[in-house]
Amino acid sequence: MTAPTDSSPDDPPETPALAALVELRRAAVKPHPPADLQRGLVALRSRIAAEGSSRPALIRGALFGAAVLVVLLGSMQLVARFRAASRKGAGQPPVTVQRIEGGALVEGGYLNEAGRAGIQVYFNEGTRFVLHPRTRGRLREITREGATLSIEEGAASLNVKQDPTRRWAVEAGPFLVTVKGTVFDVSWDPTDERFDLKLHRGHVVVSGPVVGGSIPLGAGQHLAIRLPLAETVITETANEETGRANDDRDDHDDSDQDDHGPDARATPARAAPPAVPAAPGRAAPARRAVAVRPQPDSGGEPTVAGARRAAARPWPALLAAGQWDRILADAERRGVEATLEQAPSEDLFALADAARYSHRVDLASAALLAQRRRFPDSPRSLDAVFLLGRVAELRDGEGGRAMAFYDQYLGQAPDGPYAALAMGRKMILTRDEGDRAKARRIAREYLVRFPTASYAAAARALAREP
Amino acid sequence: MPNRLSRAPLALIVGGAPRDASDAELAAGLIARQDWALAEAWRRFAPMVLRTAERVIGTRTEAEDVAQEVFYQVFRRARTLREPDSLRSFVYSFVVRVLKSELRRRKRRRLLFLGAPSGAEDPLDTTAADVESRELLIRFNALLDRLSPRDRLVFVLRRMEAMTIQEIAATMDLSISTVKRAMAHASRRLAHWVDTDPGLAAFVESHGGRSP
Repeated sequence: MTAPTDSSPDDPPETPALAALVELRRAAVKPHPPADLQRGLVALRSRIAAEGSSRPALIRGALFGAAVLVVLLGSMQLVARFRAASRKGAGQPPVTVQRIEGGALVEGGYLNEAGRAGIQVYFNEGTRFVLHPRTRGRLREITREGATLSIEEGAASLNVKQDPTRRWAVEAGPFLVTVKGTVFDVSWDPTDERFDLKLHRGHVVVSGPVVGGSIPLGAGQHLAIRLPLAETVITETANEETGRANDDRDDHDDSDQDDHGPDARATPARAAPPAVPAAPGRAAPARRAVAVRPQPDSGGEPTVAGARRAAARPWPALLAAGQWDRILADAERRGVEATLEQAPSEDLFALADAARYSHRVDLASAALLAQRRRFPDSPRSLDAVFLLGRVAELRDGEGGRAMAFYDQYLGQAPDGPYAALAMGRKMILTRDEGDRAKARRIAREYLVRFPTASYAAAARALAREP
Repeated sequence: MPNRLSRAPLALIVGGAPRDASDAELAAGLIARQDWALAEAWRRFAPMVLRTAERVIGTRTEAEDVAQEVFYQVFRRARTLREPDSLRSFVYSFVVRVLKSELRRRKRRRLLFLGAPSGAEDPLDTTAADVESRELLIRFNALLDRLSPRDRLVFVLRRMEAMTIQEIAATMDLSISTVKRAMAHASRRLAHWVDTDPGLAAFVESHGGRSP
């Protein structure tokens, strides 16, 4: 049944039962989905970045020697503690589904809704998943430590009991939400390619396309990602959400120290970014935008170097934190002309972005042009061409100029990190100008070249037109 | 619905990987510690590494940990690669090394804690398989756990990864006769354990009964 593909006389004879088990195990291993692979790459880069920023080898060696000494001296104690810890972990019951209301678990882990009231999944250790009506989701994995819920379309509310030894995750479209003890709502709309997460309590980390590696979120934050626009928006709803978070504590575990733990502190942008108007009809909720971090599309994964730059240089770090007003203030304090002539490449980029977000298009253009003039051979110079197109789009009546920049970018970097975005924007501009025949041609080309990129849904809609 | 602040993408990060880089070019990129090379190596080899690791170890989460360690080692030790064209073999050698280390660690841990085989504790992370298959996989994993790390690796590489005896010998730095012996030893013991495992009795019966 399952002899090796190049079976030779050297292979020992095998019983049919063993052969069948081998085949079962071989077939049970499925390819990892792209979101998992992307998450793995981000984790790898983080680890390598951490190594790069660690102490010099000599110091590490000395520390290692000292550590070895300590380990030798205290080995018996450590073993005893380790065994005790292991017994404690082994005594913890594995996570199991306690009951499912409103539907049933069917083949492949899919949750089949029985009526129209949604499905509630209760786990033995207190965690609860609620799939909203007409949501298509599945329990993709259940392990000893937790489970992974996959939302293919629709929304869900999760109330995850806080326990550091557990591992919970939610996949929503291409996004992965890594969960600690927390309460949040998450949704994925595959038609509009829109991801939403409202975190009421605790903290989560979201990774996936566009977000730039991973985004830690704290209580009261709302993350909205629209893939077609390559747009990531985080808003805070302090009064409203915190109130709900407090309410949620009543029916949840009472040991949630994670809310204010180290990870929570890592949430981006605590300092005041520009305020935006409150939502209508509400009693002045403290809603603030805290970060916008779209990324290059189609292969433009976030780099560790980028993350390090952000940490090492104030302006990129301020930009990542949404504090572009401080960048502009800094530039004005130093003198705009002097900044344009002397600032390093990364700062010029941060300045350009800060200016764009503040709709200071002249300053954004000047920073990007300075980038091209002063650093003509750097990859940033090419990126500046694309971004000049984005700046041109911010000016009324400059769609044609924007299109010229996108054409220039695509000509010079057909496989560049912004190629998919450039072609996508060109397609949208062409459509908005009314030349739908030309837009359809671009859409078809887009689908061939970037079938899964951000503007694929818009391209498909255009391509379907008669 | 939040207010949109901008439609424009930020440009904190720049990519730039040659899309059709050869293994030799990729190796050169890794030696130069270029980020695009890391991303490309991950894209090119991670599916293979994850699949092999999961088949050897039996759980997806641990396979992911193994893959992290493999690529970390590959990136750090790329300079030791003598033949840039053989990058795939270079990566695979780390896969084997890390897996062997992981299997040894698990074995030590079981001995230290006098615990049950980890296969009984760590069922495969999947709901894709039906309940019956899942149970079979758990029991089979427990039997694989009883093999020595070397025998287990040889058996899985030969039977599930369909590597030749020669490839296994080269990858694991063993002689061909040692690989053959390990394969025979593993097959014989597994067949015996499968035949005598009470939980697999019905399965064995449905596949022609015990071996003579």
